[in-house]
Amino acid sequence: MDIFAPISLILIPLIATPIIYLGGRLANLQSGRQLSLSRWLALFTLLLMWLPFIQTARTSMIVCPCEFTVGLVTLHFDGLSVLLAGLALLLGTLVVFYSSESMAGEPGESKYYAMLVAIVGMMIGLGGAYDLFNLWLWFEGMAISSYLLVAFYRERPSTLEASVKYLVQSSLGSVLVLLGIALIFGITGQLRFDALAQATAAANLPVLLAAGGLFTIGFGVKVALVPLHTWLPDAHSQAPSGISAMLSGVVIEAGLVALLRALSLLGTVPTTWGELLMAFGLLNMVVGNLLALRQQQVKRLLAYSSLTHIGYMLVGLGIAIYANQAAGAQGSFFHLLNHGLMKGLAFLAAGALLYAFTSQQKDSGDHGLTIADLAGASRRYPLAALAFTLAILGLAGLPPLAGFMSKWQIFVAGVAADDGLITAVILFTALNSVFSLAYYAPLVNMMYRQTPSLAVVGGRPLPATVNLPLILLAAGVVVLGIWPNLVSNITELAATAVMAGLGG
Amino acid sequence: MTPFLILLTIGLPWLGALLVWLVGEKRPSLLHALAVIFAVAAGVAALVLLPLAEATAVIQFNTQGILGELTFVPDGLGTLLAAVATVIGSLAVIFSVSYMKGHAQLRRYYVLVLLFIGAMAGLVLTGSLLLLFIFWEITALCSYALIAFDNDNPAAVHGGIKALIITQLGGIGLLLLALVAQAQLGSYDLAHFIAWSPTLPTAVLALLAFSTLTAAAAKSAQVPFYTWLPDAMEAPTPVSALIHAATMVNAGVYLLARLYPAFAEVAGWRTAVVIVGLLSVLLTGIMALTTYDLKRVLAYSTISQLGYMVTAVGLGGIFASQFHLLSHALFKAMLFLAAGAIIHTLGTRDMRQMGGLGAKMPLLRNVFVVGALALAGLPPVNGFWSKELILEAGLKSEMWWAYVGLLIGAGLTAVYTSRMIWLVFWGEARQKYHLHPLSPAMTIPLILLAAGTLTSWLLAGPLSHALHDTLPFHDLHALTLGEMVAEVMSWGTAVALTIVLLGMAIWWQRARLGGFVKRLGWLEKTAVNSFGFEFINHGLTVGAQRAGALLQKTQTGQLNWNVVGILAGLLLVLLILWGSV
Repeated sequence: MDIFAPISLILIPLIATPIIYLGGRLANLQSGRQLSLSRWLALFTLLLMWLPFIQTARTSMIVCPCEFTVGLVTLHFDGLSVLLAGLALLLGTLVVFYSSESMAGEPGESKYYAMLVAIVGMMIGLGGAYDLFNLWLWFEGMAISSYLLVAFYRERPSTLEASVKYLVQSSLGSVLVLLGIALIFGITGQLRFDALAQATAAANLPVLLAAGGLFTIGFGVKVALVPLHTWLPDAHSQAPSGISAMLSGVVIEAGLVALLRALSLLGTVPTTWGELLMAFGLLNMVVGNLLALRQQQVKRLLAYSSLTHIGYMLVGLGIAIYANQAAGAQGSFFHLLNHGLMKGLAFLAAGALLYAFTSQQKDSGDHGLTIADLAGASRRYPLAALAFTLAILGLAGLPPLAGFMSKWQIFVAGVAADDGLITAVILFTALNSVFSLAYYAPLVNMMYRQTPSLAVVGGRPLPATVNLPLILLAAGVVVLGIWPNLVSNITELAATAVMAGLGG
Repeated sequence: MTPFLILLTIGLPWLGALLVWLVGEKRPSLLHALAVIFAVAAGVAALVLLPLAEATAVIQFNTQGILGELTFVPDGLGTLLAAVATVIGSLAVIFSVSYMKGHAQLRRYYVLVLLFIGAMAGLVLTGSLLLLFIFWEITALCSYALIAFDNDNPAAVHGGIKALIITQLGGIGLLLLALVAQAQLGSYDLAHFIAWSPTLPTAVLALLAFSTLTAAAAKSAQVPFYTWLPDAMEAPTPVSALIHAATMVNAGVYLLARLYPAFAEVAGWRTAVVIVGLLSVLLTGIMALTTYDLKRVLAYSTISQLGYMVTAVGLGGIFASQFHLLSHALFKAMLFLAAGAIIHTLGTRDMRQMGGLGAKMPLLRNVFVVGALALAGLPPVNGFWSKELILEAGLKSEMWWAYVGLLIGAGLTAVYTSRMIWLVFWGEARQKYHLHPLSPAMTIPLILLAAGTLTSWLLAGPLSHALHDTLPFHDLHALTLGEMVAEVMSWGTAVALTIVLLGMAIWWQRARLGGFVKRLGWLEKTAVNSFGFEFINHGLTVGAQRAGALLQKTQTGQLNWNVVGILAGLLLVLLILWGSV
């Protein structure tokens, strides 16, 4: 397999990150003005990365899920890697566009774009990792980039508080993951995925279970499993809106991918990780829904709803592993993709409105965008309002939008398992999906009011760089709803990758 | 030809919706024109499709994926309801030209109405349970958006969300049906399901039967899910006429009728259906007597008449139920549009501020009287024939108590109908009226619907034969018009007519019955409180909010507690994993 494409896919963002940062800072220093060179460098980098990505994707999906070694490190791209990398790259590119105006002139602008490129690169590396240590390494790299991005508005006390909490909790999670890796290495002496898959079959069971538990909780902090989720509402609402979109859309999903990779090494253990994932899924759904219902701040509401959607993904994966239904995993990965698009769109649209409403060039103070601020937004910002509506209705699972299709696929897999308990789980999931309408629908109603809020009246127009990502993501949500088969190749391969380790 | 007509019936309103969306808010007259043209065109397509009904799937599109095979079957049941949806849809759109004149957000209105009409036609014409569910959801979305159309009115928004959540919760029943059909029988196809349903395990079939009943009851606003329909009256009246009287609420009855052969043998199912229908007939009949809001009376009456249709299905009278569906769609849409004209002119929905309108608005009075005759079930209008057929079905079945209940319902209907007509059109005017003449956009649909109400019963023969020929599983008995008339002219009908006349007499002589009515005060109070169902709704909503508030306490905001949460999670997971070994 041509090694050049995957290598450049990994190396380009790593090399570009310091260049973007230094280039941006130096250009500003030299000229004495805010030139936003970092924005152009970041855009160039991400666009450039599409070429090796497409090449790698094609090879991985059609020829083989191949591995290739550089020195001591082996990388391996399969369907799941392609899915994660594609989503990260797509959202990253759109967010760079989107942030152009809102970040222009900010003192931390170079840092923002540099870290954005870094986090995309880290996630791609995470998807391609083929041994436990490198998995942890890329995971940690992603976490560190995200700390800096969440803490972007560090002069604000609430942001600082949110990012410190996120830092501490996430670090605790990383330590637990390391403990788990240490346990595995201690009893098997292996770190590579292929070697471990056989080595764990004969290993000491309680230790393996302990490692699995540590992985679940350790990675689970990042995936925002309940009760490890407490950092999420603060971090996702305090971050700049483009970063909120990335966090909810792909970063927590990357944590889920890491968790699945780690657990699939323990698939030969006769314990059903499936049941564990389903239980967490149900808990996430309920907690996410009930807490989102109470919210008046839009970004916090969306953050809590991410908990619910992680719950749907976990249920689908749990069913797949427990009942050997690959379609459940496929549905979950389809939902992973759709959630990335829909939640990304929701955060970007909400952020667009927030940007329009604030007179300074930063997200407004502690209270952010409230539901009452949305009143009448459709009159002055019809595009953002329509985009937000499509995102919300998609998240609620209404056809013919994307969210319905992925949820349906999970439901089909669940009922096909022909197990009373799982059918009950499916019913409970459907109930939660309907319940979520109680907090999604009022958002839409608010935007289509006649009497605008003060915020809408005093708002400024939205630039094209903000509208373009909204249009593209909205189109994606609608198209995938009508034609879900477009991505079924990728999701099927991702499902196969996971089921290979955990199925049966 | 037939596949093309089906695509036109569904596609023309959707194309119209797209064009309306593209035209924008700046050119209202173009919006009105486009909406009318595309709605009427769809109606024409559906009418042309009617005589071409057949039992086989004429469109089959294999999607090679999770959607399975998408099929459309233009049988008698589907084409009838598609025609009802599109024709009454076009009349409601024509009425809207005048009713919504000068209204803001007109584009959004027409997009949603046209989207709804197409989705409703698709719902009844499709042969795939998955597509049926998808169209079901789209109609729910449009209904919610149109009820809450006036977003600045909190009652409207509340009504919309209530309708959405209740019907969606019921929809889970339909979801289960589609999923299990696919899982157990390998296909989403309706005909396949009905044919192979006897092979399903009894418990599974029973689960499906009752979950379908739940879905149908929620969509058709039957007890115990009816509380959304009266609150949905906040919608603009053409929407109430179309969605909440003539089409969407029929989707539940349609579902029951369509799946009757699969579930008829399930123990207790038919009894449950009859009980649900009867309770809806009686409870909402009483509630209609206690309210002074004109649209609410019509809403309760809709639930009550849907109860007749549901009971008919439970009794095995499939043709009777669909015949009444046709009659009801025509006369109820007419009553709603007429009520809309009154409300539009007077600016109030409160009947206590009406009265004596008969002299001032003779056309509306005449139309209302025709509608009232149909509602009460007096000859020669369509409501009489279809209601009597349902009563005959009750007489013939082993559930004779259903017949008694339906009779009482007929009496109640007569009472509240007389009350409604009298309060609005007769007596002394209770306020000064500033009336202006109605535009043709309002009067033409009314006159057409009145003509339909007077004559639609003549279609009994062709309709019955169409259903008999194209519904192979239903074991129907084809009637001609003459046979139907003969069947209705029986002693049972004489009893029913007596009860109806008695009901009207009760209203007219209510002064003499004063004491008796006072002793029923407890009943009135219970009825005003909707027999406790609103209390349950309220309890559930408050309960959810309280649960959320309680849970909010766990989000302490303190890092130490968050870390405790993580470690507690770890401990719990380790305990569970080690314990399972």
